[in-house]
Amino acid sequence: MAMVDAGGIRLHVQRTGPTDGRAPHATVVLVHGLLTDSLASYYFTVAPAFAAAGLDVVMYDLRGHGRSERPPHGYTLDHNIADLEALLARLAVTGPVHLVGNSYGGTIAFGYAARHPGRVASLTLIESEPATAAWAAKLGRILRRVTTELAHNERDALAWITAHRGHNTARLARGAARLARETTLGRDIPASRVLTEAQIRAVRCPVLGVYGGDSDLADLVPEQRRLLTDFRAVVLPGHEHSVLVEAPGTVGGHILDLVGAGAGVR
Amino acid sequence: MNPTPPAPAQPTADTVLAEVGDMLRTVLAEYGDDDVAIGMSTTFNRDLELESIDLVTLAGLLEERYGQRVNLAEFLAGMDFDEIVDLTVGRLVEHVVWSLKTTQAG
Repeated sequence: MAMVDAGGIRLHVQRTGPTDGRAPHATVVLVHGLLTDSLASYYFTVAPAFAAAGLDVVMYDLRGHGRSERPPHGYTLDHNIADLEALLARLAVTGPVHLVGNSYGGTIAFGYAARHPGRVASLTLIESEPATAAWAAKLGRILRRVTTELAHNERDALAWITAHRGHNTARLARGAARLARETTLGRDIPASRVLTEAQIRAVRCPVLGVYGGDSDLADLVPEQRRLLTDFRAVVLPGHEHSVLVEAPGTVGGHILDLVGAGAGVR
Repeated sequence: MNPTPPAPAQPTADTVLAEVGDMLRTVLAEYGDDDVAIGMSTTFNRDLELESIDLVTLAGLLEERYGQRVNLAEFLAGMDFDEIVDLTVGRLVEHVVWSLKTTQAG
């Protein structure tokens, strides 16, 4: 396990790449989602195929998540973008990278691309969207539920989740409740600085949106198409928000198509 | 004294189970839970309550012990979600034994 000091915070990083001795064609950075997520959602799904396709694959746990350090404060979107900047600087990744973000990870990736358009070769948003006022309000509602129902009435909430969603989801929810209780994440994220329409439009690299057909986020496709100059969408029927871990082969294939178009991956 | 060095021990399910069991206890020790019975039918998810990030740590321990011959990420990437949830220690042990024998022969 590699712990990397990214500007004063220790982040858990996993890096993989071609095993046949070839030099990687490009770097892809995989950013996971909020609360119940970690780099494991990539490590055991798309990462092996990306490495086999000749890519340098960087995965990391967001602050507070997985094996990364969990400071009590500092969980706005700007903190997460600054962590990504510091991490890539620390890893000496200088060329344009292909950024992939799942859920909130895509919001971080988009924020990074808006700040550094020249450093991003392509952007994949899996069940994700740029930070807007509507996004912040929605996250506020979700996080309020986590912090009230789960963090403060954990026993009843977990019994309900176990009965209706199963043991595995209940365990993940317990971890999410702990994170919400021990940190200011629930307050910080909805209070994040969001992007203006001009800042969103300034992202001109190829952007791939991947959505579950049964997810509300698929409704965002027309808006992304209106704002982004190079946007393509893939909607996978029969899936909801967890489309990355449910259909990794399909999702990974679309990402490789996008990355290959920009970087000459074989 | 035996003049010829012993042939490399064929990895057996028993020896690999003991080694994988030690690795799992290392992972579980992070939760203050290092005194767990681990057998071939023990499940990672339901019995050991391991989260997927714990399996990333286990993948690192497997690679430390066996080298790149055992790649947990590739093993699990070939499974669907429900298979991973139901995964037993025994299935991993069999995979390790198979991987070590295959690479030894090749």
